[in-house]
Amino acid sequence: MNSIFVNSKDVFLDIVNAKDYIQLDRVSTIYQALKNSIKKPLKMILLYGKPGTGKSMFLNKLHKDLSSSQKVYLYQTPILDESEFYKTLAQDLFETKYSGELNFTQFMKIVKSQDNEEIPVVLLDEAQLYSEVLMEKIRLLSDTRTVKFVITLHKTEKEDIIAKEHFQTRIWETIELENASSGELKIYIQKKLMKANCFDSANMFTNKSVNKIHKITNGNYRDTNKLLYTLFDLYAAYERNQQLSSVKTDQVSNKLIEMSAIHTGLIHA
Amino acid sequence: MLNIVDLEKRWFIYKLKSYIPHLSILISLIVIISIFLAFSRASQDISQLTITPTVAPIIVKKETLPVKEPVQATPKAVVKIEPVEVLKQEPQLLHDNNRVKLSPSLGFMRKMQGSVQPYYKNDLEYKGQVQEQAPAPITEVVEQEVIVPLSTLEAEPEVKKISIKRQNTQNDIYEIIARFKKNNNPALSLFVAKKYYELEDYQQAYNYALITNKINKEIESSWIIFTKSLVKLGKRDKAITTLEQYIKQSHSSGARILLDEIYAGKFK
Ligand SMILES: Nc1ncnc2c1ncn2[C@@H]1O[C@H](COP(=O)(O)OP(=O)(O)OP(=O)(O)O)[C@@H](O)[C@H]1O
Ligand SMILES: [Mg+2]
Repeated sequence: MNSIFVNSKDVFLDIVNAKDYIQLDRVSTIYQALKNSIKKPLKMILLYGKPGTGKSMFLNKLHKDLSSSQKVYLYQTPILDESEFYKTLAQDLFETKYSGELNFTQFMKIVKSQDNEEIPVVLLDEAQLYSEVLMEKIRLLSDTRTVKFVITLHKTEKEDIIAKEHFQTRIWETIELENASSGELKIYIQKKLMKANCFDSANMFTNKSVNKIHKITNGNYRDTNKLLYTLFDLYAAYERNQQLSSVKTDQVSNKLIEMSAIHTGLIHA
Repeated sequence: MLNIVDLEKRWFIYKLKSYIPHLSILISLIVIISIFLAFSRASQDISQLTITPTVAPIIVKKETLPVKEPVQATPKAVVKIEPVEVLKQEPQLLHDNNRVKLSPSLGFMRKMQGSVQPYYKNDLEYKGQVQEQAPAPITEVVEQEVIVPLSTLEAEPEVKKISIKRQNTQNDIYEIIARFKKNNNPALSLFVAKKYYELEDYQQAYNYALITNKINKEIESSWIIFTKSLVKLGKRDKAITTLEQYIKQSHSSGARILLDEIYAGKFK
C-alpha cells in the first residue's frame, strides 16, 4: 500500500541532508551573505542559533555548494584530541600524512609552508564541544589567514547573553539563525512536501493551519518536523482503520494537529 | 505505533481543560457586569436625588436671592455631592489605566525592534560593504572593519567567555546525551563515545560508538572508537575482525594504522 500520508510522513524525518535543503528568503539572504564573506579575508565566521534552527543543515548545504569550486571541508563531529585535530587537517587540507603526535607549532609550520593561492575553508559543526584550548588554537590559526573557519555554535537560552556579548565585540563575523515566521513556515512545509511529490498534502496547509502549527512550534524547524511527522502518522493510522471520514482531509484537521502536539509533548495535556 | 483511541481521549480532556479559562472568564464577566449593574442602579438613585440640588445652584445664580435658602436648606445635598465626585473620579482612574496599558504595548514594539535588529544588522553589514546603505549601520560596519585587526589582543578574553559553557566534565556528557536524544545527531553520539573513551569507561564508549554506527555507517572515527573500546574490553579478536571487514569496504587509512598497531601489540 502506498499511502500519500505515509509518504508525507517520511518527508519530516529529522535528517540533515543538503539535498533536502529548502530555499527560504531569509535564510538565502544570510546564505548569500555568508558566501560573500567567505570570499573576504575575514578571519572566522560564527553561525549560531537555538537548537533546531537549521545550523547543521546550513553548513551541509554550504559544503555541498562550495565543494565544486573550492577547497572546503566539513567536520560534523568535533575532533577532541588536539594532535588528532591537526593530523586530520594536515591530511585533508594539505595532503600531508603524519604518523605520531603533531603539535601546534609543527602544524603551523606545515600551514606556513603552503603556497596559499587558495585558502581552504573549514566548516566545524557543534563548535561548543571543542575544548577551550583547541578553540584558542583555531582562532590563532585563522588569524594567520591561511585557513578560514566557519563554525556553528549551539545556543541555548542560558547562553543567550554570552552569545550577545560576543556579538557586540565583533571579533568574528557572526550570523544568527532564527526560528521561522509563520509565512516562512508555510513555505518550508509546502516546499518540503512538493519536493517529495506530495502535492495533495501540501495543499492541505492553509494559512490558518500553518498559524496553528506556528503557535505550537514557534517556527522551530525541528519541532515542526516532529509535529508533522506525527500528524501524518496519525492520518495514516486513521486511513488504516478506515476512519478517515471522521477527520478533515481537505485541510489539516486542527484536532489532529493538537493530538500530534500532545503526543510529541509540544503541548501538555 | 500510535494509539489513536488513547490519544483522542487525551485530546478530549485537553479540550475540556482549555475551555476552563474561557468559562471562568465568562463567569467572572457575568459577576462583574451584574455587580456593575447593581451598583449603577444604586448610584442612579443617588444622582436622582442629587440632580436637583446641583442643577438648582445654576438657576440660582440668575435669581440669586430667592434660591439661596433651598441651597442652604439642603445640607444633605452637600453630603450627597460627594458620591457624585467619587463617580467622577472613577472615569479618571479608568483613563489612567488606559495610559498604563499603553506602555507595555510600546515595550512590546521595542522588543520587536530589538529582536529584528540582529538579522537586519547582518544583512546591512554585508550589503554595506558593497553598496551604500543607511548611514547609521555603515559607520558600525566601518568601525568593525577597523576594530577587527586591532582587537586581536582583546580577542582572548572574549573567546574564553564563550567557552564558559563548553562541556568538559563528565556531568556535561549527560547534557549532550539529552541533546542527542532530541536531534539524533551522530556527531553528538560520537562525541559521547569519545568522551567516555577518554574517561576510560570503555563499555559506554563501545555503546555510543555502536549507536553512532547505526545512524551513520560511514564515520571512520566511530569504527575506530568502537574497535579501540573492544580491545580495551579484552575482545582483541573481535576488534581485529571488525577492523579487517571495515578496511575491506572503506580502505580507511586510519583503520589500517590502528590494525597494524593492534597486530604489533602497540595498542592494547
Ligand atoms: N533550510 C532548510 N531546509 C530543509 N530542512 C531544514 C532547513 N532548515 C532546517 N531544516 C530541518 O530542520 C531540522 C533541524 O535542523 P538542524 O539539525 O540543522 O538544526 P541545528 O540548528 O543544527 O540544531 P542543533 O543545535 O540541535 O544542532 C533538520 O533535520 C532539517 O530537516
Ligand atoms: Mg546541529
